Amino acid sequence: MKIWVIAERTDGTLRRVSRELAAKGAELGDLTVLEVGGDRVPAGAAAAALAERAAGDAPDLILVGATTAGRDIAARLAARLRRPYLSECTAVEIDGTSIEATRAMYAGKVRARVRAALPAVVSVRPNAFPLADGAAEPAVSSVTAGEAPGVSFVRFEPTASGGGRVPLSDARVIVSGGRGLKGPEAWKEVEALADVLGAALGASRAVTDAGWRPNEEQVGQTGKTVTPDLYIALGISGAIQHLAGMTSSKVIVAVNKDPDADIFKVADYGIVGDVFEFLPAFTAAVKQAKAGA
Amino acid sequence: MKLLICIRQVPDSTTRVKVAPDGTAIVTEGITWSISPYDEYAIELALEHKDAAADTVVSVISVGGPRAKDALRQALAMGCDDATLVTGDGAAALGPLGIADALKSAVLELTPDLVFCGKQASDDDQGFVGPALAEALGWPLLSNVSRIVATGSGAPPLGLEYWRETEGGHEVWTASGPAVITVQKSEKDPRYPSLPGIMKAKKKEIPERPVAGEDPVQIEVVKLEPPPARGAGKILKDGDMKTRATELAKILRDEAKVL
Repeated sequence: MKIWVIAERTDGTLRRVSRELAAKGAELGDLTVLEVGGDRVPAGAAAAALAERAAGDAPDLILVGATTAGRDIAARLAARLRRPYLSECTAVEIDGTSIEATRAMYAGKVRARVRAALPAVVSVRPNAFPLADGAAEPAVSSVTAGEAPGVSFVRFEPTASGGGRVPLSDARVIVSGGRGLKGPEAWKEVEALADVLGAALGASRAVTDAGWRPNEEQVGQTGKTVTPDLYIALGISGAIQHLAGMTSSKVIVAVNKDPDADIFKVADYGIVGDVFEFLPAFTAAVKQAKAGA
Repeated sequence: MKLLICIRQVPDSTTRVKVAPDGTAIVTEGITWSISPYDEYAIELALEHKDAAADTVVSVISVGGPRAKDALRQALAMGCDDATLVTGDGAAALGPLGIADALKSAVLELTPDLVFCGKQASDDDQGFVGPALAEALGWPLLSNVSRIVATGSGAPPLGLEYWRETEGGHEVWTASGPAVITVQKSEKDPRYPSLPGIMKAKKKEIPERPVAGEDPVQIEVVKLEPPPARGAGKILKDGDMKTRATELAKILRDEAKVL
């Protein structure tokens, strides 16, 4: 079984999802890790170069991290090869000549097991496969893409609130705020907690629609679907569209003053009470816990 | 400038989706069908362009069964100029690559300058049709676009900046010719159909085109199920907030091992 992983770098460092896939790929078969050389190579050119290489190598399974760039490359590559594409999978299993994968459908309201014949292209969500501490960096070969006429990259506009935080879709810890936080000023405290946790910031749709936070931070339908190890929902009631985007988190903590809020139905740990009292107390407690107290 | 928006009819976002007894489909009875949310944002982006440049023609197209006509009519009521339904036996069951093939032949005939798709449709959520259509046409793909800004430097598609939402910010791109744009949630909510818009849409004819052929690849749904139920969680009740916050931090570190 020949497995390809298409790797991606951020600031020169292999992305965690690429390393997760390389670890999984090595378990599944004979692993080759490839990256497309160059910065912001359009997906069409990247897919063309990879397809050419695939014609010689004949990989059975191509794994790609379900990042913004990864999803484009995976989809165009599958279309070019005219092979099945399964996107944003959270589990994969090879069964003889086919692959069975688990993925979300209907905006996260349904979990599907789907099967396709190999060769196939599969994009995988970050944090779906474990990565052992101190796992070795995989060897990566570079593929050179050709010209990509028709579009040009002009500039990058960083999110004002980004502040060097982990992107939401890659985050292993997310602190997310809802209407219960009453206004944008509350995010000072939310950010203080996120800093201590090394967490990304999330928000409910009510919050992004009100303009308290940028759209990019929205979790749920029409926002991000996230699967962190820890999701902390502050003042979020738990509308079905929000729950669809975060119920696959490993551990969910909810703080809300309404004991009947739907968010408590999916929370592993809940505190019914004032989120403004909770925030400073919990930030201090996490600091202590991390210090070993 | 001619814009073509590819839309998909899906269960409305407020639907509580239920899995059918055979476990490989959803219960469709009683469902309200709507335009997929990201497709609505695509329509809004295109109509905003039309608001600014009146000579813009905004067309919509959908591949699906007869019921998809309602989605097209909804788009017309929002202000789109014309609509096409690609339909026929098997159209409703066509997979993403088959849909992209069908759209490709429509694009070659309708000759739009830009093609818009939602970044994914909230039924299979594959996000495959847009990139596959770009690949089929040999066009560049600008994915995850949440904003289009006119810079005034040249006639479209020159003079437009496409803001692509990526990790940590936006990549700003330009296009020198036709492109497939996939649309992310944009700043402005999609407009509601106006009453005159609804009346006009009712009278418009929606021409039909046949589907191009068979699905080139098959993806089998083995099983659909609701997301795993999460057991009732533990509510921390004892002591004041400080005590509970401290207990929570310890649990997360020692039991859940996520700190």
